[in-house]
This record gives sequence, structure tokens and C-alpha cells, in this order.
Amino acid sequence: MGRIKNLLHARSMSSFAFLVILFLVVGLINPAFLTPSNISACFNTSVVYTLVAVGMAFTLFIGEIDVSVGANLGLVAAVVGSMLRDGQSMGLAIIVGVVIGAMIGLINAWGVAVMKAPSLIFTLGVNGVLRGIVYVYTNGAWVENLPKGFKDFSSVTAVGDLTVYYCATIVLVAVIQLLLVRTKRGRYFHAVGDNAQGATLVGLPTRTTKILAYVICGVMAAIGGIIFCSRIGFVTPASGNGYEMKAIAACVLGGISLLGGVGSVVGSAIGAVIMASISYLLVFMGFSSNYDNAITGIILIVIVVVDALLQRRAIVKNRHARLAARVSSGTEVAAAAMEKAQEGGEA
Amino acid sequence: MEAADSQNGTVGRDEARVSYQVPNTLLSVQNIYKSFGSNEVLKGISLDLCESQVLALIGGNGAGKSTLMKIIMGIYSADSGEITIAGKKVDISNPKAALEHSIYMVPQEPMLFPNMTVRENVVIGFDEGASELESRLKSVMAEIGWSLDLDCKASTLSIAEQGMVEILRGLMRNPKVLILDEPTSALTFDEVQSLLACVEELQKKGIGIIYITHRLSEVFEIGTTVAILRDGIVTTQGNVFEFTRDDLVRGLLPEDASVDGATTGDSACEIDYSQEPVLRVRDFSGYGFSDVSFDIYPGEIVGLAGVVGAGRTEMATTIFGRDKVLGGSVTLNGQDITGRKTRQVISMGLNYVPEDRFNDGLYRIRGVAENTTSALLSSSRMGRFFLNSKEEERVSQSYVDRFRTKVTGLDQEVGGLSGGNQQKTVIGRAFSTSPKVVILDEPTRGIDAAARGDVYAVLQELRDTGVSILLISSDMEEIVELSDRALVMYQGRIVQEFGKDQIVQENLTAAAFGVYQADAKAVTD
Repeated sequence: MGRIKNLLHARSMSSFAFLVILFLVVGLINPAFLTPSNISACFNTSVVYTLVAVGMAFTLFIGEIDVSVGANLGLVAAVVGSMLRDGQSMGLAIIVGVVIGAMIGLINAWGVAVMKAPSLIFTLGVNGVLRGIVYVYTNGAWVENLPKGFKDFSSVTAVGDLTVYYCATIVLVAVIQLLLVRTKRGRYFHAVGDNAQGATLVGLPTRTTKILAYVICGVMAAIGGIIFCSRIGFVTPASGNGYEMKAIAACVLGGISLLGGVGSVVGSAIGAVIMASISYLLVFMGFSSNYDNAITGIILIVIVVVDALLQRRAIVKNRHARLAARVSSGTEVAAAAMEKAQEGGEA
Repeated sequence: MEAADSQNGTVGRDEARVSYQVPNTLLSVQNIYKSFGSNEVLKGISLDLCESQVLALIGGNGAGKSTLMKIIMGIYSADSGEITIAGKKVDISNPKAALEHSIYMVPQEPMLFPNMTVRENVVIGFDEGASELESRLKSVMAEIGWSLDLDCKASTLSIAEQGMVEILRGLMRNPKVLILDEPTSALTFDEVQSLLACVEELQKKGIGIIYITHRLSEVFEIGTTVAILRDGIVTTQGNVFEFTRDDLVRGLLPEDASVDGATTGDSACEIDYSQEPVLRVRDFSGYGFSDVSFDIYPGEIVGLAGVVGAGRTEMATTIFGRDKVLGGSVTLNGQDITGRKTRQVISMGLNYVPEDRFNDGLYRIRGVAENTTSALLSSSRMGRFFLNSKEEERVSQSYVDRFRTKVTGLDQEVGGLSGGNQQKTVIGRAFSTSPKVVILDEPTRGIDAAARGDVYAVLQELRDTGVSILLISSDMEEIVELSDRALVMYQGRIVQEFGKDQIVQENLTAAAFGVYQADAKAVTD
């Protein structure tokens, strides 16, 4: 019972409710939207965002951020895409892609966890460097002519209209969530983000946890890059641009606090679906999908501001309640004083 | 009557001391040296801690207590020297290693995970299974007789409760050595008593405790041995019963200072109460205090006593425009300042020196000069557009000279000053705005005895220039020493006012704990 209650109270539940309401509202405006294939399409499109957002969630849990995921994804997509185009084996391409992602994660971890540079700026710099490497590597050209089988695999469905990619991602998210909640080490990410100094004092491996978070983030963005390749079918030098904002917005929408220590990867996965749906929903509501980025930005700003406001208000309210509880009514003081004085006299 | 009680308590503890004294050394540090850059913080510290000992560690700010503890906990590593645990030399390079050697430190500021539950906070970092941890937690809590809601979030706990969770964390690790860093500084009277009782329980179980404190009374109440740190060396060490209060004060003071130098003697100064009061507070209410009325006259130091949480700071910050006024009025020199913005309150002639000089008071990474004059930046005195750096220097130097602030130069970072010198800088800043009334909140908390004397002299000097001071202090001696008149707050109300001749610690303490009665003396005598 308690477990079900906890589940209902989880922050990710409100984002799930938001998703459902969003779909229903769009359905009211344009009933043509509410078909299984349209709704599945929203989920299927979200697969890359989900992977990147889940990785991003780890860096947010530890109270940091990684804005290099977009370029990371772009670089891995370009490398994997060109390897496959040139006839390299699938397995090798995937291994190379994941290793690149892990390396980028390590570089970010070195800057943030070892050198203690501010994570936003450090990863922004890494993002610039990686994007530069993509342009140099591809010579500014598109990576095209990917093997047909690789491209076609992205539309293979597993359950109903849901693709194999999306179903596999859901399983991955579920496993990660279980590891985070059920294992001792899983809790370390939140602990480090909640109070890094306190974590050190109770003997938690603070630095290792931070390094791990960045490596996970890098690897998830790399996997996102590989799937991106397969789904889109070609890679431009600008591929992955803006994915960092989508991923951060997805996490925040899913109830993850930018201050660290709060949230779940399930939340970020739900947020990713909302993010992926926006351009789709815009079309159904009769708007241009050009509004997509602006709307994503607005959602991010609104949530962050409301969150900050609520948090501040809660703190002030708690403080006032605590202070008010300390003040006694005048008569009470006199009575208490009398009583104590009398006790004193008797003893 | 109360005195008799505590007398009995002390006797009981003395007996306990004798029967539990086992010469079995748990922890021994030998010849520890540590410097940060050119700053030598520890110069050859040697200390021993035996089973069932409570080693009271006292010393001024910057004496090296925290550095030493951080070395024992593996947060810093010593430049030289060795640490032995139960006779074996050990290498403690990180907190994890310290925990493995059964050493646990309860830090001065609780280090909880605010978004986790109490239970998660306590059991995190253990390798055992959940059910085993749960039963151990239950038994530990039963043993020390605490009840805490394990499922509530740590962010909802009071400071005292957070401290309890920290101690629970320590106990779960079956520590042999427990370090308590000023555990009572944020606690109320009752909480202090339950904490001290808990420490005694732990002592009976054979745990060695290092108890860092600023309150000398606690040394006698709970310590078995005492060590005084000053400027990185242990000046005094031995069994508590060998020392008197004066011995300890002497150990805290620099060798060239006499004990009397720490206090400034009687400061009798006739206040003309027929004048118009400079500050008039009437039926003033806000969050944390209610119906407060008092007057302050020109050139007067009014002490405001009370226990932590009595609403003194809240009242001061509300007058200063930091919080919402719920009723009543405050008049400064005939002008109504009720509910004004802080900026206006300052310009009308009232300033406030906060209790927490780190978070509310100072720009830590800026120099002394910039800090001193930062309150003047909006006035034309510091230049109309470009900063008048000559004036900045002149003003700052005048306060440094006047207050005898120890600085290497006006550009020294304030974060690197000792507590006393930081406090002098903040006070200097408050007075640089030429206020008529200054509210000082715990001006000497965490400051060593010598610097305290300096601060007192500064305050008296300022008073003599006609400034009125409202002195909020939990240190009753301080109020006795400085005040021309004293008010006492209890549960958000002013319950008592004492004239100069009535200001004695006994009266203040009784009123602060809500048990003062003008004729109570007659009853108890």
C-alpha cells in the first residue's frame, strides 16, 4: 500500500498527468490526433530525447549539468554514420560510438569533479570543441548513404505501433530507475547532489560518483547518437544542436531539480515524450512547427521560475510558522512563570 | 536552590569520572604540523584520548581546533606528525578511512541530505542489508531514548533535530571516538541538557569523546580532561578537576595579556533619562515576537538577553526592514520607521550588525577597505560616480586604527581574518554610516576572550560618542559587563526590564528562562 501511495506522490506522476492532459487537450482541438498511431508516433519520436535526458538526469542529480550532450550526440552520429557508410561492421561502429561518448564523459568529469571548474561553463566549452571536431571530421559535408537495413530497423515495431528502439529504451529506463532506487550505490547520486560535503563526511565516494554520472551521461548521449543515425538516416554537421536544451527541459518537466538531489529518470523519460510531442502537437493544432524551440524554451523558463517561486515561498512559510509557534500568548508566559516559581519555592 | 541542584549533579559526575577512568588510549595524535601556504596553523599538536574520556577542547577562533579535527577525520592531511589508534600507527587519508577506524565527527553545521528522509540520512553509506540496518537503528534509538519521525524529510527538521540525526549517524557506526564540534551552539536550554545526558551515556559505554566548545561552563559540567589550543599549540592540558575557570581563561589568552585585560571594568556612565528616547518601539509584533515595547535613550547601551529562539534576532531584523511587520510602531528620532525598507532605515540612522557574519555580514573575498566602506557606496562621500579611493582608505584606516583590527593591509581579504577581526570590520562598517542607533546581534559569538575585550572597548568608545546600542547577546556576562539597562525576551515577548543595579547574571538567566519574579528571591531564600 505504502509503495503505491509513494508512487502516486512521486514528482514524475504530475508530469505524467501533464502529458495525458496535453494529449487530451490537443485531441479536443483536433479529434484526428487521438489515434493509436499518432500517439505511438509521439513516443517513438521521443527515443533519442529520452536517452539524452536520462543521461542528463544523472548530472542534474549530482547538482551539476552537462550541456555538451548535443555535440557529443552529433560527433558520435557522424563517426558511426561514416563508419557504416564505409562498410565497417555494425558491432565495431557501436563500440567506437560508445567509447567516444564515455571519453567525452571522462573529459567533462575531469573538468568538473577533479579540477572543480563550474560545470555549465566547462561543458559549454567542451560542446564548442566537439562541434568543431564534427565540422573538421565531416569537412562540413553530410554523412549520407547509410546502409538500408540500418535505417529500416528504426521503423520495426515491437509492441503495437511502438518501435523496438522505444521499447528497448523503456526497459533500459526501468532498469536504471530500479538500480537508482534499490541499490545503495544508486542512492549516492542523489546524496552527492543534495549535500556533497555531507556525503564526503559519511564516507561516500563523492568524486567517483560525480565521475560516474558524467560517464553515464556521455554514454547515453552516444547511444542517442547511434539511434539518431538510424532514425534520421543521415547526419549533418549541425546534428544534435539544441538537444541539450530539450534534455534539460525534459528533466525539469519530469520533476528533476536543477539544484540536485531530487527527481527520477522515469520523470525525465516522461518529460522527453512531452518535448518530442511539441512539434507534432503544433501541427495538429494548426501551428507551424517552427515554434517548437521557442515553446520548449518558454516551458523551461516557466517551470524553473515557478519552481523557484514555490520553493522560496515554502521556505518563508515554514520559517514564519516555526517562528509563530515560538511566541506564547501573554497570559501563558505569566502562568508558566508563576508555576515554575512555585515549584521552585516548594522544592 | 538551582545552584544546589547543579552542585549535586557535579558531585555525581565526579564519581562517574573516577570509576570509568581506564588508561586505555583510543586515539593519540603526536606532533601534528600543518600549514596552509605561509600560514602555520598547527605547530606540533600532541593529544591523547582514552576510553570513557570526554576531552573538552577549547580555544579561540583560528587556534586550530577545526583544522586538527579535519586532520583526524582525514579531510586534510597533516604536513608531519602521526596518528595512532589503539596503539597502532594509522594513515587517515580520507573520511572513509577515519570511519573505518571507528572515528566519527558530528560537524558544527549539520551535514544532512535535506531531500532524503531521516532514515535514509542515517543508513546511507552502510553495506549491510536494509532490515539489519533498520533493527540496529531502532535499538540505537531505544538505547538513547530519542524519538524521531524516521520518514519525514530532513529539510523539515529543526537545527537541534538535525544535530540529533548526525549523532544517530555516528552511533550507528559503533564509534570508539566521537568528535562533537560545538554541538550546543545552536541548541536551546532543554536540548543542551538532553545532549549532555546523552554524552554521559556514551561515555559510560567506553566511547572516547572529543568535545569542542566555547562555553567554559560545559567544560566543567561534562569534561573529564581538557585541552586548550592557542595559535596552533596546546597551551594547557590535564584533568578538568585540576583547573579553575580562571586557569582556563588564562590558557586562552596570549601570554602577554593579563586576565583583567580581557574585560574593561566598570563602565559607569550616567544616562540622562529625561531626554527624548532616540528609539521608541511600541506594541511591535512580527513573526517570532509579539507586543514588544521599549525605549532607548541617547548614548545608552541596552542589553537584550534571552535564550536562542526567544525572538530577539527576528525583532531586530524586522525593525531593520527585513521581514513583515504585523503590528505596532517603531519611531527613530521622532520619525516613523515602521515597515520601511532596509535602505531607508539605514539612511534614517539605524544600523544592524547581523549574528551570522559569514552569510549576512561580509564580502569574504573582498578586502578590509572595501568591506568597511561598502555601506557608504550610495552616499556621495565615496565619490559621485568614480569611487573616491582616498576616502575609502581614510575611512577604513580610521576604523582599523580605532578598533585595533589586526590586518596585513587594507586590501587583505576579510575571509582570511580571524573571527574577532572580522567582527571589528563589520562593526566598523555599521558605524561608518554615522548611525544614531546600532543593533548588534551576538557581537562576540565565536570570538576568543582577548578579541572580546577589544570589541567591548570599541562598543564603549562608540557609546561615549553618543551612539545608542541595542546589544543582543546570549552571553549573560556580556550583558552584565556592558549594559546600562537590560531587557529580557522570553518566547517572543519582553518579560523583564532591569536597571543598571539589577543587572546580574542570576536575574537575567531567571528571566531568560521565564522564571524571574521580582519577589521570588524572598520566597526561595
